[in-house]
Amino acid sequence: MLAYAVRRVLYTIPVLLGVAALVFLLFHSVGEDPVRVALGTHATPESIAELRAQWGLDKPLALQFVDFLGQIVTFDYGESYNSGEQLSAMFAQGAAVSLWLTVPPFLIGLVINLVFGLLVAYYRGTWFDRLSTGVLIMTMSISYLVYIIGFQYFFAYRLELFPINGYEHGLAGVKYLLLPWIIILTVTAGEDVRMYRTMFLDETQADYVRTARAKGVGEPGVLLGHVLQNALIPIVTYTMVAVPFLVMGAFLMERYFSLPGVGDLMITAINNGDFPVLKGLTMVIAIAYSAMVLLTDLVYAWVDPRVSLR
Amino acid sequence: MTSVTASQEVHRTPLQRGLRQMLRRKVVVFSLFVLALYVLVALAGIFNLLPDYQERIGTGYSPPTTERLALILGTDVFGRSVLYKILAGTETAMLIGAMVPLIAVPIGVALGAIAGYYGGKIDALIVWLFSVISSLPYILIVLAISFVLGKGLIAICVAMGLVGWVGLCRLVRAELIKHREREYVLSSRLLGASDAALIFKHILPNVVHVAIITASLQVLGAIKSEVILTYLGVGIQDGASWGTMISDAAGELVQSIWWPLAGVVLAMFFVIYALNVLGDALRDALDPKLLDR
Amino acid sequence: MRFITLALLVFAVACGGGSDKPKSGETAAPAKKVFNYVRTSAHKSLDPVKQFDAASAELINNVYDSLLEYHYLKRPYALAPNLLTKLPELSADGLTYSFELRSDVKFIDDPCFPGGKGRALTTDDVIYSLKRFAHGQLNVKSYVLMQGSVAGMDEYRAETLKGGDFTKLDISGIKKIDDTHFTITLTKRNPLALLPLAATQTAIVPREAVEHYKDDFERHTVGTGPFKLKDLQRRGVTILEKNPNYHLTYPTEGQPEDEAKGLLAAKGQKLPFVDEVHLPLIEEPQPAMLKFLSGGMDWIGIDRDNFVKMAFKDDKGFHLQPEYAGKFDIYAEPRLSTEYWVFNMKDPLIGKNKALRKAIAYALDSAAFVTKMRNGRGVAVSTIVPPPIAGSENDVKVEWYRNNLEEAKKLLAEAGFPGGKGLPELTVEIRSSTTQSRQDFEFNRAELAKAGIIIKPSFQTFSAYLQRVESGNFQIAISGWQADYPDAENFYQLLYGPNKAPGPNSSSWANAEYDRLFDQARFMDNGPERYALFAKMHEIIREDVPVIFVWSDIAVGLHQKWVRNFKRNMMIDVPFKYFDVDTKLRAQGVPGAK
Repeated sequence: MLAYAVRRVLYTIPVLLGVAALVFLLFHSVGEDPVRVALGTHATPESIAELRAQWGLDKPLALQFVDFLGQIVTFDYGESYNSGEQLSAMFAQGAAVSLWLTVPPFLIGLVINLVFGLLVAYYRGTWFDRLSTGVLIMTMSISYLVYIIGFQYFFAYRLELFPINGYEHGLAGVKYLLLPWIIILTVTAGEDVRMYRTMFLDETQADYVRTARAKGVGEPGVLLGHVLQNALIPIVTYTMVAVPFLVMGAFLMERYFSLPGVGDLMITAINNGDFPVLKGLTMVIAIAYSAMVLLTDLVYAWVDPRVSLR
Repeated sequence: MTSVTASQEVHRTPLQRGLRQMLRRKVVVFSLFVLALYVLVALAGIFNLLPDYQERIGTGYSPPTTERLALILGTDVFGRSVLYKILAGTETAMLIGAMVPLIAVPIGVALGAIAGYYGGKIDALIVWLFSVISSLPYILIVLAISFVLGKGLIAICVAMGLVGWVGLCRLVRAELIKHREREYVLSSRLLGASDAALIFKHILPNVVHVAIITASLQVLGAIKSEVILTYLGVGIQDGASWGTMISDAAGELVQSIWWPLAGVVLAMFFVIYALNVLGDALRDALDPKLLDR
Repeated sequence: MRFITLALLVFAVACGGGSDKPKSGETAAPAKKVFNYVRTSAHKSLDPVKQFDAASAELINNVYDSLLEYHYLKRPYALAPNLLTKLPELSADGLTYSFELRSDVKFIDDPCFPGGKGRALTTDDVIYSLKRFAHGQLNVKSYVLMQGSVAGMDEYRAETLKGGDFTKLDISGIKKIDDTHFTITLTKRNPLALLPLAATQTAIVPREAVEHYKDDFERHTVGTGPFKLKDLQRRGVTILEKNPNYHLTYPTEGQPEDEAKGLLAAKGQKLPFVDEVHLPLIEEPQPAMLKFLSGGMDWIGIDRDNFVKMAFKDDKGFHLQPEYAGKFDIYAEPRLSTEYWVFNMKDPLIGKNKALRKAIAYALDSAAFVTKMRNGRGVAVSTIVPPPIAGSENDVKVEWYRNNLEEAKKLLAEAGFPGGKGLPELTVEIRSSTTQSRQDFEFNRAELAKAGIIIKPSFQTFSAYLQRVESGNFQIAISGWQADYPDAENFYQLLYGPNKAPGPNSSSWANAEYDRLFDQARFMDNGPERYALFAKMHEIIREDVPVIFVWSDIAVGLHQKWVRNFKRNMMIDVPFKYFDVDTKLRAQGVPGAK
């Protein structure tokens, strides 16, 4: 087990190196030129050169990449080109908001959708199953953007049930998040419920279920006792791996509802060619993702020793 | 009532049985019909048979009327027919829906097969590659690649294709690993069968169903992503696409001009709904585990 | 601290906000007069010499002061003293200005000062701030505003590039006489020399704050302005709070029509009037408008979609539709900017074919564009100078191309492409890829297509657009210029030969006669002599068509009925210090609220 753990951890390093290289290449050499963005129409060749030098952009790419690796290791991604703020501060502030936006519906949705998925699996083939599946597919057939525009227009503006946009920190912010939460729940319900339904159904075909049924265990017992437990593993994998991306927030939502989160930060950074922000945030998310995958694998190995012997 | 001879029964494979069962459901047939309709429209667009959506046929922002077919969904700010724009957008959407899986599926299957079958260093390399890609948020990579490739229709299709192969690759690789230890493979090898023959003739057919299901999911994923990518500025620049129509909608709604948005939402809704139903049905029909009913 | 980044992820969720204090927003107790506006993008820096964007200026203008400012009410835009007792006096030889500082200007209280008490502003502060402005490493963005203007400043700038303590270096043209008097000597006679001293970039900052806060100075402001920063939130709500010791009072004179509009009711009263200004960040226009309509915002610019719904234009001006007329007030003010099409004179096809350029000029329909795509919120222009600035078509008799399809076709044939045959698709660079730019392009595409000219769009992000234009890598580009200062020179320089790409003369057009006339006219005072030169310059442009002038914007917007002293001023983008709010009226809400 220990050997396996060590191997897995060591394995993460080349992956992260690869990610760093990809992030560096993608966001550094292409897209916006941050110097031009900063200087605008009043740029002169001298000012461009001066700013390039200040930001270290005149060093050869290889050297800049090495600098970047150094930043990753020390977790100090420097300052934003756009605002000069410390990235860690920007990220912490934005992350708080984004997490408030995505985590509650994630958790609530998890519970609701699991229960719903169980129900639909239990009643498979009946009108309930067919009707639910039909409705869920319908909700999945509308673009995210349309939900945002439409819900904001109807429920916030016309019916005035929610504030139109804005944000306050702490508990006062909850009222601004209610409509976004509802939208997230609506959009993700379809995919999640059907995914859980599939996982449950897959399990119900397994031998041990047939055995249980043959033994006379009632359907609810089969579902709750055996299927749920076994289906939990793929379900947990599926959900845990999604967690790191929660911090990205839902950038469209953040844009339209003026929520100062990480997703919106990213979009602004892309528009401004704000390399430090892009590189830094992406790396942090990638590291979190790798950590999560690693954790999941280790838990798997601990639960099912066969895995580590491969 | 016709009787079917015993020999006819036996020769139908589980695959064929599944497909027939699938086609018996009315919803599935309806969805196929819808999809075929959209494809037809797209083909008409490719062969320049669609009406010119740039033509100003009415005053700006006139609401839907039943006077002319072209005006049935009203007009946009320039007086162009919303219906014609949607038709042109259909061509774009179908093109995207076709191109992305055409790029992603072959890559995914090829890399997955190679990784799963040969193992060792090649496997490690491919696993490393898709681990790296999975670590980054989807929309960011696609956005960045689109930027590099110069934005527009081809750029986003290639970008989505270059990122979308990962899921399929994982699945195919897993299947290959499962199968390569099987007896029939070992015995075929003893008999002198080449690697390529083994992969293509024996193992891959087992993953076809996965590829088809993934492809169908990719189609609708790509169509929906175009909307977001256009909103972010890397998608379709000129020309009509559903993404541009939705992006324009926000401002129009405030003026109580609902018909451009309604039109495009309906158009998207039907085809995505159809694709979802078909994807589900295919999965039910082709999944070997469920076939042992 | 740095290592905690990841851990903060989890920690932040638990705290639900980390370092931010909970805010009470609108629930402030005794009737605090609040003005609600908006920021559409986040600021880049609050250090005057480190920014050149509107979002940063919006805040800097209200917490810092420059030596001069533009008069709030007078038109055409005129300079007024801010930190000075009166406008500077010019010496007999026209080279030296004498300045006298007010003695009642104080910096706000701040820990960077001994004992935390703000002190009076002196000449030393002015010289210190101007040295920062001219510093080669501190100011890479805006020095161009004063380049070559003050004696010894360029030399000082070159010295600063070597590093070291810049406070020990001197600018020979700036001389201190005493704590409230100093002089600035120019390199040559230049009536435009004072204008940069009204710019945000030359705002006066205290040395103590810069040295105390170092890098944080970009976020921690210590100024003499009408407001101080109560809460700076890049992405949330930034709050400005009244500076009770502000030195300026409401203007006592204005334009003839201002009295009747109630704009002089507050004359002579101490500024500012409101206690706080709330500036949330709202990037999308729709949510912003929804907020205004419900009374949560006091002022908003109106975009096309909302204009169509809420307003209309007739020959008497802009008005609100009946259902809104009772609820809000509308205003319209011409902007000091021009939009124009630039031909790349280095392009083998466009640059060499004058008839083709003329054909395009005749095929475009600026007047229809303004009416259809901007609902008349603008004017088709005939010169490069926006109408409100002296030397525009209001002062100089000029002719320009008006839409004429027949002429366009004729010239197209002359150019060698009768009916458009043989003419390749022309690529037009567009500096944004928003819905509006897409629709604008569609309009122009259709117009040019009538003559047989086919154009293809190239939507770029702003910086990519600048890159292409500066490198001369384009055929046609749709460009715009906003006045740095209200003088025609700022616009005619856009066609000055030596300013060719990568300078602002994007078309790289060079005409020796034009350049000669420009050199003559640029430093002249406004008057018939100068206008005569402008007329000649314009004629040269008209004959060669390196650019096509299209239109100039009119800013149209709304404000709530409870806002007082509102007059849109294009050189003072956000004049919060002059605004007042009738709190009783506001408490009643939007009239007939929905």
